Amino acid sequence: MDVLLMNMLNGLSWGMLLFLIAVGLTTIFGVLGVLNFAHGSLFMLGAYLCMQSMQFFDSFWFGLAVGPLCVVAIGVLIERFLLKKVYVRDVSYQLLLTFAVLLVLDDAVRMIWGSGYHVVEPPLILAGIINILGHDYPVYRFFLIFIGPVIGGLLWAFFHFTRWGKIIRAASYDNIMAEGVGINVPLLYTMVFALGTWLAAVGGALAAPQQSLVPSMGEKIIIESFIVVVVGGMGSFPGAFAGALLLGLLESFGTVFAGRLQMAIPYILLAVVLLVKPNGLFRKGI
Amino acid sequence: MAVLKRHNLAGPAILVVLLAVGPLVMPTYWVMLLSEILIMGLMAMSFNLLFGFTGLLSFGQGAFFGLGAYTAALLLQNGFSNLFLILVAGMLVACVASLVVGFFSVRLDEIFFAMITLGFGMMFFSIAHNWIDVTGGSDGLPVFALPSLSLFGVELTFYTPVTMYYLVLVTVVLGSVLLWLVVHSPFGLILKSLRENKQRVAFVGGNVSRLRIAAFAISGTFTGLAGVLFCLFNNMASPEFMHWSFSAKPVIMSIIGGTGVFLGPLFGAGIFFVLEQVIIQYTENWMLFLGIVLIPIVLFFPDGVFGTLRKKLLRKV
Amino acid sequence: MNEDAVLRVENLGHSYGRFKVIEDISLAIGKGETSALIGPNGAGKTTFYNAISGRFPPTRGKVYLNGEEITGLPSHRVVARGMCRSFQITNVFAELTVAENVFTPLIIQQNKHFKLYGNVYRDKLIVDKAMHTLEQVGFADRADQTVSSLAYGDKRLVEMAIVLAREPSVVLLDEPTAGMNPEETENMISLIKKLAKVSGTTFFITEHDMKVVFSLAEKIYVLHQGHLLAQGRPEEIRANEDVQEAYLGRKVHA
Repeated sequence: MDVLLMNMLNGLSWGMLLFLIAVGLTTIFGVLGVLNFAHGSLFMLGAYLCMQSMQFFDSFWFGLAVGPLCVVAIGVLIERFLLKKVYVRDVSYQLLLTFAVLLVLDDAVRMIWGSGYHVVEPPLILAGIINILGHDYPVYRFFLIFIGPVIGGLLWAFFHFTRWGKIIRAASYDNIMAEGVGINVPLLYTMVFALGTWLAAVGGALAAPQQSLVPSMGEKIIIESFIVVVVGGMGSFPGAFAGALLLGLLESFGTVFAGRLQMAIPYILLAVVLLVKPNGLFRKGI
Repeated sequence: MAVLKRHNLAGPAILVVLLAVGPLVMPTYWVMLLSEILIMGLMAMSFNLLFGFTGLLSFGQGAFFGLGAYTAALLLQNGFSNLFLILVAGMLVACVASLVVGFFSVRLDEIFFAMITLGFGMMFFSIAHNWIDVTGGSDGLPVFALPSLSLFGVELTFYTPVTMYYLVLVTVVLGSVLLWLVVHSPFGLILKSLRENKQRVAFVGGNVSRLRIAAFAISGTFTGLAGVLFCLFNNMASPEFMHWSFSAKPVIMSIIGGTGVFLGPLFGAGIFFVLEQVIIQYTENWMLFLGIVLIPIVLFFPDGVFGTLRKKLLRKV
Repeated sequence: MNEDAVLRVENLGHSYGRFKVIEDISLAIGKGETSALIGPNGAGKTTFYNAISGRFPPTRGKVYLNGEEITGLPSHRVVARGMCRSFQITNVFAELTVAENVFTPLIIQQNKHFKLYGNVYRDKLIVDKAMHTLEQVGFADRADQTVSSLAYGDKRLVEMAIVLAREPSVVLLDEPTAGMNPEETENMISLIKKLAKVSGTTFFITEHDMKVVFSLAEKIYVLHQGHLLAQGRPEEIRANEDVQEAYLGRKVHA
């Protein structure tokens, strides 16, 4: 019972982080049609820039607010100067271009902050440990389980109740339609990429107090985000949520039941879903 | 009348001659680098049979490369030292594995194909990484005794970089010739047709899945051969060979070199390694510069460096 | 029902979920006969084609080709039995040469698609037949051109060559003149006429352009809201009041 609860909480908190990253990835794919290999690096940058900006005011909240915005600026540059040129090209060129961006960002971070570990302390209010059913559990993870749905809900409201949100939703169903109704498509694309970047960077900033910062943290998470997005259905908002929780919980419980094969779980999940439901669990559309 | 295309074989012939005399004038270090280029070039050309010729982007080729390497290492550790046996066994294991992976994967296209092959590749990686009793886990399997070859009563060994280089060269040339035959065969033309339009192939009587599985298995088999060579060259089979980041290498090399030309990926491998050598003399941040070099190649050289140069030269002639 | 029919369809139906796109279609096409399937947009023509050509299996009913049942066979099997089709949207191998486009079906027909060595251009059995097919559609002198560099109407002709290369007994053409200019349309009509006469191939076409239909078809089938509304010789169809009301009438007076 205790094992069950602990793994459930671990899985949920990890799943929420995955969700923040995957929902940005899936939105970008849904609208721009590009699978962004560098998305994990934006997550990583979010963590590093959060750490960096924290140093000005020694406040995690300040870092959480400012760090991701700096990453958004980088994201906009990437979209404007690079991605824009490959929208019409074959998917393999898009993957390779964004992979090149990944190489540049990861190594740049290595140059600036070194390849060693960095630690970000959670804010005092979340730093403690809470006793739950006789077990100690970090408050910060509860915060993650709480903040994931909050951001998800706000995003959902944005997509459903604001003009730009509705436009993005429409564009994710039908890429061509947007042009027909007189929308500035290049601007839309930049905005969507900026939004996706922000989500990844916020995910990174939120992950910072929970895992140590290394330049390779983006490379690890990008493959899992790919899996979430493919499993959930590429370009699907609910799919990203369901896929992230599913993968988070599976990985967490995997430590219990899968033993040594735990490492293979995400890939087995990916293969099974692709073979049974090639388009993922949910239909395209945000 | 359809004109019979005369294949220009002078270029490749000169290349082989240059490669054969190269070690006589090159420092040992470059001989070893050239061996590595040839091995990865073979892997990239095998990958390109799928990517450039069949239109399937596989992100799991490392699995077959690794299977070739592990097969060689395990055979050598268990006292088998016949070179042919090791080469053939490595190819066979990779062939069987790629038939299985291909069977499940070829029904998908584009990004989905890339993802499922990545998934299968990482499953093999997980096994290699965790099945410590057999694979040595993350340390990999070391190889101490290299196979030997009896040819006309002469016992050949491959313990020096130069002899190893010649083993690699002969094997890679043979492998490339076989791949070249496949690319230019009736089967090879059907692969190009599949790349262009698989629905049309199905509607002129082609069994798309079977054809794709065959392409996948041939690619996997030669990738396995490259893996065997790399294990002998490196004295080591490591789970890293099966990781997706290793599978990304032939993708990068092919696109650098050019996917539309048979030898493009080999040149891509050459550019990749030479660039690496040059850059790491100045900075540790080789990845950063690889990225910076890749970006303009993707943006401005849609046919790859070699492909673009070749096009320019042919236009002049 | 005509037992000697080269293509016979019995009570064919197809549904997407609860929605019946086509229902209870029966027809029999005689050897060498050129017939046309007409009907307004959404009548189910393409669904009908897809269901009999192996794009997907029909929900109900049976299809016979040369007396053998082919219901639900995958497309490559249907082709092997002797029925080949074109598509509404030109379906060719764009970056290959015209010759290679025609080689492809021939390699498969002669069972050389798993042959891993040898040069197709040196294979007389393939090259001769390919050139013969290209002569039929008037492309022999342009065999080395890349298809993507051709004009639209020429691409349609290349697709005709692909379809005809295996000498199928039945050829399904889905709107063969769609998007063509009047001259190209004329060419296509006379080509189909010529081929039907010379090789005895059975053509079954769908078409929007009534001029094309009436100048080609010996027999016309009218599809309306998924049902076969009428069938008969062109003059019978012209005179049929149901058809006029459901389809032609609206079109003529529109």
